[in-house]
Amino acid sequence: MANQPSAANNNGRRHKSEGPQKHIIAFIFSILLTVIAFAAVAAGEVNETFIYIILIGMAILQVFVQMAFWMHMKDRGHIYPIIGILFGITIAITAVVMAQYWVWW
Amino acid sequence: MSGHSHVDGQLPHEPEKATLEGRNKVLGFWLFLGGETVLFGTLFSAFLALRHQVLDGPTEQELFSLPLVAAATLLLLTSSLTSVFAIQAMHNNQVKAMINWLIITVLLGLGFLGLEIYEFYHYVHEGHGFTTSAFSSSFYTLVGFHGAHVAFGILWISLLIAQVFKKGLNVVTAPKIYVAGMYWHFIDVVWVFIFTVVYLMGKVG
Repeated sequence: MANQPSAANNNGRRHKSEGPQKHIIAFIFSILLTVIAFAAVAAGEVNETFIYIILIGMAILQVFVQMAFWMHMKDRGHIYPIIGILFGITIAITAVVMAQYWVWW
Repeated sequence: MSGHSHVDGQLPHEPEKATLEGRNKVLGFWLFLGGETVLFGTLFSAFLALRHQVLDGPTEQELFSLPLVAAATLLLLTSSLTSVFAIQAMHNNQVKAMINWLIITVLLGLGFLGLEIYEFYHYVHEGHGFTTSAFSSSFYTLVGFHGAHVAFGILWISLLIAQVFKKGLNVVTAPKIYVAGMYWHFIDVVWVFIFTVVYLMGKVG
């Protein structure tokens, strides 16, 4: 068993195990962004464009937090996944913008 | 080292990345998620283009109830957290804890699905059927597609739990669980846009 990584003395955890703290922080952050978005709508009677900007801003922020922490995109060695998903996001945004443009302008 | 067995019950720290097959599965799944992004992007674009075309049917403001949407959001968000805990337990080689977190994830997903079914049932009784208007068709297509993804995720993770019971956690089953966790996060990410674009923007006008 010479090629077995030195598992005996450190219980197989050669890397520092990550704790749950950062995921709980990401969770609290997501809840906070959600509450802000719901509150902005519930408050009502404010400038519509302003609320739209808040809503979209909160959604993009929350997706960024979740993809970075929960889908491990901020970890090392994720360059190809990032290229793949960015390609999808580019086409998706193009579809949304062009559908709006062709139908309503 | 054999990829399929581990001599003394020791797994590498990140068993999903221990084999080339596992790493390829993760990469391939990211590319699949890119395709899923395009799918939901086109559904969103159809919904955004048609959401004010209600004919004689009810409008967004009349239909949507924010407390119900908030409850569904909380369930799905929490289930995303519990699925990340399952992956952490897997990385620490705590199979029991991993299975427990996965079961909690599935239960929360079922709760979300139940709320959505109740919501759709309620809407149909309000006169908001699939063919009522362009708005209703694009609404049910977009939100229903997401609900179908949740249902598929529940089935998938349940089957994986059964497989871990039968075969244990090893370098073959670990990538499957990791990939299912990514899928579950992706569903949650799509829901963030659905509650923003469909429900909240619908309430604004």
